[in-house]
Amino acid sequence: MKRVAEIAMYTAFAAFVGLLSVWPPYTNLDDDRAIISLVFSHAGKRVSECRQLTQEELNELPPNMRTMNDCPRERHPVRVELRSGTEILYEATLLPSGIWADGKASIYRRIEVPSGTHKLFVGMNDSGGADFDYEKSLTMDLAPRRNLLVQFDGQTSEFLIR
Amino acid sequence: MIAKVHRLGRTLFGALRVPMARAFASAENPLNHIGALTVFFLWIVLVSGIWLLLFFRTSVSGAFESVEYLTREQWYLGGIMRSLHRYASDAAIVTIFLHMVKEFVFNRYRGPRWYSWVTGVPLVWIVFILGITGYWLVWDELAQYVAINSAELIDRIPIFTDSMAGNFLSDELLSDRFFTLMAFLHLIGLPIFIVFGIWMHIFRLTGPRINPPRRMMAGTLLAMLILSAVYPAASHEQANLAMAPEVLRLDWFYLHVYPLIRIWSPGWVWVLLVGVSSIIVIMPWAPRQKKEPPALVTLDYCNGCERCVDDCPFGAVEMVARTDGTNYSHQASVDPDLCVSCGICVGACPTATPFRSQGALLPGIDLPDRSAAKLRDDIIAAGAEKSSPHVIVFGCRDDAQLKAIEKAGHRVVQVNCMGQLPPSYIDFALSRGHADGVMLLGCQDGDCSYRFGAEWTEQRIARQRDPMLRGRVDVSRVALGWQAPWADNANAVQKFDAFVESLKP
Repeated sequence: MKRVAEIAMYTAFAAFVGLLSVWPPYTNLDDDRAIISLVFSHAGKRVSECRQLTQEELNELPPNMRTMNDCPRERHPVRVELRSGTEILYEATLLPSGIWADGKASIYRRIEVPSGTHKLFVGMNDSGGADFDYEKSLTMDLAPRRNLLVQFDGQTSEFLIR
Repeated sequence: MIAKVHRLGRTLFGALRVPMARAFASAENPLNHIGALTVFFLWIVLVSGIWLLLFFRTSVSGAFESVEYLTREQWYLGGIMRSLHRYASDAAIVTIFLHMVKEFVFNRYRGPRWYSWVTGVPLVWIVFILGITGYWLVWDELAQYVAINSAELIDRIPIFTDSMAGNFLSDELLSDRFFTLMAFLHLIGLPIFIVFGIWMHIFRLTGPRINPPRRMMAGTLLAMLILSAVYPAASHEQANLAMAPEVLRLDWFYLHVYPLIRIWSPGWVWVLLVGVSSIIVIMPWAPRQKKEPPALVTLDYCNGCERCVDDCPFGAVEMVARTDGTNYSHQASVDPDLCVSCGICVGACPTATPFRSQGALLPGIDLPDRSAAKLRDDIIAAGAEKSSPHVIVFGCRDDAQLKAIEKAGHRVVQVNCMGQLPPSYIDFALSRGHADGVMLLGCQDGDCSYRFGAEWTEQRIARQRDPMLRGRVDVSRVALGWQAPWADNANAVQKFDAFVESLKP
């Protein structure tokens, strides 16, 4: 009898392990939804342009610190907006990284949208102005479960949607 | 408050014990070997993992294909090994959870035991990270889900500028080198930390048991093998970063917090993980356990025999050079920070004998709060209550059965741990006519609160370990409540009644 109970215990343990390792199933995304992933890192323009120092100013500096230009490190925040038609899917003002606010601003955002046709617009401002410095519009048919990637290419200074 | 939580937990744990006790002898009850069982599962994971490593290819397409090859083409060995690898990892999470719950509800995490409790927390983190990186390596849809969500969690740590999650959104952004890095972490880096972590975890324990009994190893291995054959682990579709996975067969043992990343946010998941871990870490001091006086060495009676050192389960006693100028080379010395006041050292001391007729009963090592002299007085007092046949019950203070015995009108001589009872006291009770029989009610099912109390007692009475029960004692008049045939009774009172019945002519 004890042997039977022992086998039953091992069986129950194995069944519990086997069951919870796959069940219950988890729905990561409904079958009528798609995803737009907005991801990039971009350094905003500097808040102040470099300024050439005068000879008097240079003379006041120690010899090892005499550089011709004074370049403040702080950068503008990066403002980004993503729209589908008139609906704003995401908008944010991203602060530069670093304690001197001189690093890149980064964004990764996963946005769930209904599958189907979307008239997408993405715009970015990195100079502190009201208008977008970079923008792109595109009409896309998003299949169910499609993961659309929206990036900003720093080399060509344009948005990539793929 | 905490005592009530412990009591409630013990009641729930007790409900689990009942069917387990029916299925297993106490020496082979998995609930008494949960920690060792976890290590055994990690051994299975290691051995099966080495086989998987031989065929694993560390590239974006190679990772999935090589795992598929093992699962489908080499199903008879590679597939079984993969399933064993997975199910043993899952089983380890079950035993880790039970191990933690048990140590908590039986109050085995406070006082000097804080060290093992606290070092267990990073160990659990490493086991989880190891499991999660394992899922990552398969590079199927589940791996894709795990990769993106893990990266979102990592992104929340405010030390990175670029988003790590961005690397898992397009096949073009993913490089083969990433799999080399993950394989290194999963196959070498984290396992080294696990071995080191286990060593730290058991560092303060004397004679740590890291292997369960062979029968239990065979049983669990067979159970995992049958599960692997009947329901082999399988991959999802190959990862496709252009498409999001829809429905996933999540391994809830390892990935249970992942859905919370969507429901809450990565930041709140961190709050949960760090918060729970922090609470667990501070638990030994919340509230602080009242410290009992540690064992005390009396040099006049310590002959440096080392038995207390051999028997102490927590390494609290050590031998040091003699300080009193006598001819003995060494003396026992107790580290009060490590001593849990179980009294097992008193049970091991050859000078703890109740037959001493001259002077006070003062052994070489003793507990100030529950001394060897008081134990003798208790036996004499219990012996005065005559019934026929008369049985004296010795019970551990942590044993819930004692109250039931006392309610039934029987007097119990309490010890801190059954290992505190020197065999000479059993001899004293029987040969001096204080009792016709002696029943020892150790911790339930032989699962000693102080690790070795029940085991050392069994060996002392079986005359296999010093100090041994004298040959003149009829062992049929000594009942160990946690052993057959007494363990088959449902409760302590029934055990007692059955023993009394067995003593009748």
